[in-house]
Amino acid sequence: MQQIVGVAPSGSLGSGYNIAAFKRAMSLGPDFVGQDAGSTDMGPYYHGSGQPFLPRTTYKHDLSIMLRAARAAQVPLIVGSALTSGCNTTLENAVGIIREIAAEEGLSFRMAVIQAEIDKATLKQRMTLAPLESIGPTEALTPETVDRCGPIVAQMGVEPFIKALEAGAEVIIAGRACDDAVFAALPVMRGYDQGLALHCGKILECAGLSAIPYDLGEPMVGILRRDHFVVEPGNADHRCTTVSVAGHSLYERGDFEFQPGPGGLNDLSGTSFEQLDARSVRVRGSRFIPDVTYKVKLEAAEQLGFRSIVIVGIRDPIMIRELDGLLAETEARAEERFGMAAAGMRLRFRTYGRDAVMGRLEPGGAPPREIGLMIEALAPTQEMATAVAMYSRGHLQHAHYAGILTTAGNMAYPFSPFGIPVGPAYRFAVYHLLALRDPCEIFPITLEEVRN
Amino acid sequence: MAEAASNQGETLDHVAKVIRSKNAGPFEITFDIMFDDADAYARVKRSGVIDAMRIASLYRIPPTDVLVCKPFDAALAFKITIRRPVSSGDWLDTDVYGCQQHVPLTGLVVPVA
Repeated sequence: MQQIVGVAPSGSLGSGYNIAAFKRAMSLGPDFVGQDAGSTDMGPYYHGSGQPFLPRTTYKHDLSIMLRAARAAQVPLIVGSALTSGCNTTLENAVGIIREIAAEEGLSFRMAVIQAEIDKATLKQRMTLAPLESIGPTEALTPETVDRCGPIVAQMGVEPFIKALEAGAEVIIAGRACDDAVFAALPVMRGYDQGLALHCGKILECAGLSAIPYDLGEPMVGILRRDHFVVEPGNADHRCTTVSVAGHSLYERGDFEFQPGPGGLNDLSGTSFEQLDARSVRVRGSRFIPDVTYKVKLEAAEQLGFRSIVIVGIRDPIMIRELDGLLAETEARAEERFGMAAAGMRLRFRTYGRDAVMGRLEPGGAPPREIGLMIEALAPTQEMATAVAMYSRGHLQHAHYAGILTTAGNMAYPFSPFGIPVGPAYRFAVYHLLALRDPCEIFPITLEEVRN
Repeated sequence: MAEAASNQGETLDHVAKVIRSKNAGPFEITFDIMFDDADAYARVKRSGVIDAMRIASLYRIPPTDVLVCKPFDAALAFKITIRRPVSSGDWLDTDVYGCQQHVPLTGLVVPVA
């Protein structure tokens, strides 16, 4: 039977995965190993700062196992969104790790490196020709916003991967890429249906999150055939069910019927899920509908300033009762002392144990026994942010309130030091579509012969 | 978790298998309500309790910010997507992943049969 088998080791590169289950998956004779290595999911810091989510050693550990396995099996290893934001800096980090592993393990292969960062001058130039279509931010995207942003990346589709595979790449390390494209590229290159290939890729990109028990660290296997695909977990004790696979088809997507991606959208309105045996599910009917104009998603985060925090615990029930008034008073004092608004500084309090998670949607109820209070300041410099956070802490620590019993101090500190400089703070500012003439036009590919 | 609501019906957390929220990109939060029982799914679908206006009032957002609200028979699931009041990780955000915003849905009352 004609088929393409893909193996996804892990749903989150660097978080570790089940090695025994990965070996079992590799014993099924895959045609490629695919790994998604990034996301916007962990918030704007990683896009803004161009820093990876995890320490380098964790990525090296995970990449080493899959690189050796892929080379032993003589099949391509395809990694997308390396690492986290997939900008040029983190991409180069990933490439350095790959070279290092190859040298240590005596591996030789042809490597393709695909960049996904778009030069700011180029982007501003394009913005003068036609404004970019926003799929998120409501504020207009100006050249000044672009300047305040960290690296600007674009999500590539299957085409740059296909170009690299056609050039004989045995290892592909790509910058920001649409998750499912990492897994759909080889099948699409070989003429398999793009809708099924992308849907199968969508299941594989989070690996064991589509199985029961659900676990990002459990490998997943996808078997793509002409008119359907089958998914099953690498772990022989785990299983896929129609509910787990259909459920994952909804995951992190705004709509199940129409899932837009680079160059088109995947239509799942006619998709069916069928239990094939105890562990595997067959999927049919997903259809890719190409756009008239090929568009890719741009992502970037702008810097707001610097953030500093203080974390304390409040246990006294009278202080908890009086807390809102005390916080308002602290804000007023900070305004008086620093001229907060005029100086571009902000202060907020997160009251964990009460309403820090749901905010105004919290229905309320009995007063909490204790509150974890996070004092959070934002300012143009790290020094000023810490000054504001520590000033507010100082005021609250000895503030007087109605009925006070405890005049020796109001808050419990988990450790010293109290003031924590968190570093630069960001927000997503670019989440826009860019039209391309050629799907590969902003994704340059470099080939490298790695010889050891 | 909400208590089962007397004899008028049951709360959704007693009927659904999964009620979850998660970012769908940094500017939207999407909710999946999933069932492991076709009858329970059909009962909720028939009841019409999951509708865009109710979601808007539950999350105190304008109805136009409810971008998707519909059943998906093949998955025994409902898909709801709203515009995030604050984008993921922006200054006033409280939940970067958006994965703890499902709670208001758990108390929706599903009428008996």
